[in-house]
Amino acid sequence: MVVDTLSTAFAALSDPTRRMILDRLMRGPATVNELAKPHKMTQQAVSKHVAYLERARLVAKKRRGREHLCSLRPSAIRQVADWANAYRCYWEESLERLDHLLREDGEKASRRGRTK
Amino acid sequence: MAVPNSSIEEVVVERTFDASRERVFKAWTDPKLVQRWWGPHDFTNPVCEIDARPGGAIRVHMQGPDGTIYPMTGIYKEVVEPERIVFTTTPLDDKGKPLFEVLTTVTFVERAGKTHVSVHNRVLSATAGADMYLQGMEAGWSQSLDRLGEVVT
Repeated sequence: MVVDTLSTAFAALSDPTRRMILDRLMRGPATVNELAKPHKMTQQAVSKHVAYLERARLVAKKRRGREHLCSLRPSAIRQVADWANAYRCYWEESLERLDHLLREDGEKASRRGRTK
Repeated sequence: MAVPNSSIEEVVVERTFDASRERVFKAWTDPKLVQRWWGPHDFTNPVCEIDARPGGAIRVHMQGPDGTIYPMTGIYKEVVEPERIVFTTTPLDDKGKPLFEVLTTVTFVERAGKTHVSVHNRVLSATAGADMYLQGMEAGWSQSLDRLGEVVT
């Protein structure tokens, strides 16, 4: 379900190690072994994080010989990015309104200053 | 669409205001002023109760152009005048259940008489229905655009 994907994706993204794993996968597919290297973590620990990302549908795992090759699943990531964009619009528009408010009140204050 | 970095769930928005840092900070902490700008274009805030001090509560009801009310609660974590405000916000669904929680850090830096504001948003949690909130808002926006279209044509 679309809605559930988004909330599990956010939960998966809340962990710094998982964000670093995703960051690495954005540069291309990697094996669990390759993902474990920069983190000084055991393969099992990284496998757990990968499993979490799989459940959130952010990552897909394929067997390659004796190893598993992990790659990104763009659709869930796009959903998070879409959400972030909509949230960005919300703030951009709020700040624009704040800008107008400060200008209006600033002009009023300077008019008052002149008439005094 | 390419994803710029790993922090895709983080939203950072920045803007420079032609006003002193004290004035901009006040616009973020005085409920009467916040009421006038918080939310997208064409939205109003019939309820805007904010208690800008650590532990203080935020209670805002945004109203969209189609009349829909979007309630939101939150708590101030840090208020360091006139430099920084940290708060959480939690939009609620129509049954009063939380949809998602965002931690917002706002920093105010004065540069040559102007004030640079950075709004850093980080999603702490989200529940099923989190995206409906913004979708509903966008529906509110597009409806107001439809109305504009009717007026113009």
